[in-house]
Amino acid sequence: MSRPSPVLAPAPTAVFLLHIGSMDNRLIGLSIERHWKQSIRLAQSLDEADVVLVDHDRPGVDEALNQLARHPGIGVVGYAFRPESLQTRFPHHLTVSKPLNLDALPGVLNRAALLGRPLQPVALTNMAIQESSEPRPWVSDEEPDLCGSLDDIPPSPGAPLPAKLFFEPTQYLIGHLAQALDEAIKTGRPHVVSGLPRLIGVPPLPQPVCVTSFRDTQLRPFSMAQLPDATARVVNALTFSGPGSTDTLHTAEDFLWNIAAWAARGRLPAGVDPYRPVRLRAWPNFTRTWAAPHALRIVALWTREWASPVEIARRLEIPQRYVFSAYTSAHFAGLFQPEPLAAISPPAQPANDVAPLIPPQRPSILSRILRKLLNAV
Amino acid sequence: MLSERVRHNKIIFSGTVGAGKSTAINALSDILPVSTEALATDEIAGMKKTTTVAMDYGVLNLPGGEKVMLYGTPGQERFSFMWEILSNGGIGLILLINNAQPEPLTDLENYLGAFSNFIAGTAVTIGVTHMDRAPAPGLDAYRARLAELGHTPTPAVFRVDARSRDDVAMLVKALLFTLNPGLSDA
Ligand SMILES: Nc1nc2c(ncn2[C@@H]2O[C@H](COP(=O)(O)OP(=O)(O)OP(=O)(O)O)[C@@H](O)[C@H]2O)c(=O)[nH]1
Ligand SMILES: [Mg+2]
Repeated sequence: MSRPSPVLAPAPTAVFLLHIGSMDNRLIGLSIERHWKQSIRLAQSLDEADVVLVDHDRPGVDEALNQLARHPGIGVVGYAFRPESLQTRFPHHLTVSKPLNLDALPGVLNRAALLGRPLQPVALTNMAIQESSEPRPWVSDEEPDLCGSLDDIPPSPGAPLPAKLFFEPTQYLIGHLAQALDEAIKTGRPHVVSGLPRLIGVPPLPQPVCVTSFRDTQLRPFSMAQLPDATARVVNALTFSGPGSTDTLHTAEDFLWNIAAWAARGRLPAGVDPYRPVRLRAWPNFTRTWAAPHALRIVALWTREWASPVEIARRLEIPQRYVFSAYTSAHFAGLFQPEPLAAISPPAQPANDVAPLIPPQRPSILSRILRKLLNAV
Repeated sequence: MLSERVRHNKIIFSGTVGAGKSTAINALSDILPVSTEALATDEIAGMKKTTTVAMDYGVLNLPGGEKVMLYGTPGQERFSFMWEILSNGGIGLILLINNAQPEPLTDLENYLGAFSNFIAGTAVTIGVTHMDRAPAPGLDAYRARLAELGHTPTPAVFRVDARSRDDVAMLVKALLFTLNPGLSDA
């Protein structure tokens, strides 16, 4: 690819912007004013123009071009998303592809103006679409819900809560992992979860990570199952030597989010009060973590306000189990805001006073874009 | 703040030189070609072979013939006068920060400053790119800086590879839910 060299005209070339949208008009006008004053000026009418620039993608372009019949000496530069499609229709126009390469445009305009004869269409440069990077580690095509089938609990506290709403983290991989991370951070030394077919190392520095040769497909069942007593142990890893060639390195936050979600399956860790307001301090890293159904909406709302898991479910009009799963993940990933001091308790949302976030009747542009992304990805 | 209806259907991609704006728009767009590049000159030549010297365009075709424009701002400061014009009326901002640059958190601050009016009326999500080559600073450092700068609630910050359509689509989905968590995802 070579850099087009501007052809300098003795007087600035007069360009008329024909059938060009208001934003392009402004951008090109400003570019002329700031960068190309020496070689280009804006013509106020076709009568004084040496060259016109025309946007071929706007409706009504044919009528606009009809005006040129009375000005045979004017050069024409057309631009379009697909300039190659214009070659047969407008063999005498110089055509360039969108986006306009503003550094090259003065040269193209000057050429069209000076040559004064039919030009072969050229597209400036096209960039091929990039290869996509490696597939995401956590996402598979079958999209199992993994949030169980628990029924909702009552909207306000009072009734005894069903035991199956809770799980005991220490009976699952997540409990051991959380302990390893805790001790690694406290002591500043790597810790390891051992006793499983493969090790999971947790070096705390410079940022806490989890290192393992477990593959995702193996980790999921180990995370979901209750481990028999004394299967997994957390040990201080004096000899932990860092990632080997078959190991994958995950940030601790992402790793614990996933392992916790798979243990939770719609449940809460034992001891959590589903009616107590909490608030997320940040979004999880959703490009690398497993997103259960509704997880993005839950997080979007929960970063905004203090609300209990039950309240979040009510506001979004979704089954509570999805919120409980997100709660468990966020809890182990360390994404909840620190507890406010008892004296300044969080502004609790009295139940039922805030309307649910009901989607607008006619699907908005936001939801239409969302549909497109959800269906295509 | 404009209502959804009168907003133009466009999403703005901005961020530092080489962060992956053109690549991200390419990954998401339904049309080709969507990017024109020139040989990089001057100070950035050592870093990157090509750079965008104008705006990038991409298009998402919605069912029913409607289009959403994806506009990328040029990374070079020289063309920063375009940023405000390009973003005017847009739905929201996707900000890409190249973590392999010397001061990515300062870059974050500068870009948020440049777009502060726009963000105040819309929303922003942030993709930290090139983390495979430059893992630090981590996402928590970005969140901390955002909190210091008074961005509450903290916008979504994801580790992003601009070459991955899934990653870029996730940024857009998070932007949509930030604007309205009530959107139905079923
Ligand atoms: N290794 C790596 N490369 C990336 C990542 N994201 C983008 N790239 C590459 O970075 C290079 C620069 O991307 P561009 O899309 O040209 O960046 P840009 O933001 O448009 O740059 P300017 O237009 O010059 O401001 C391309 O080769 C991309 O493929 C990433 O996360 N990791
Ligand atoms: Mg670019």
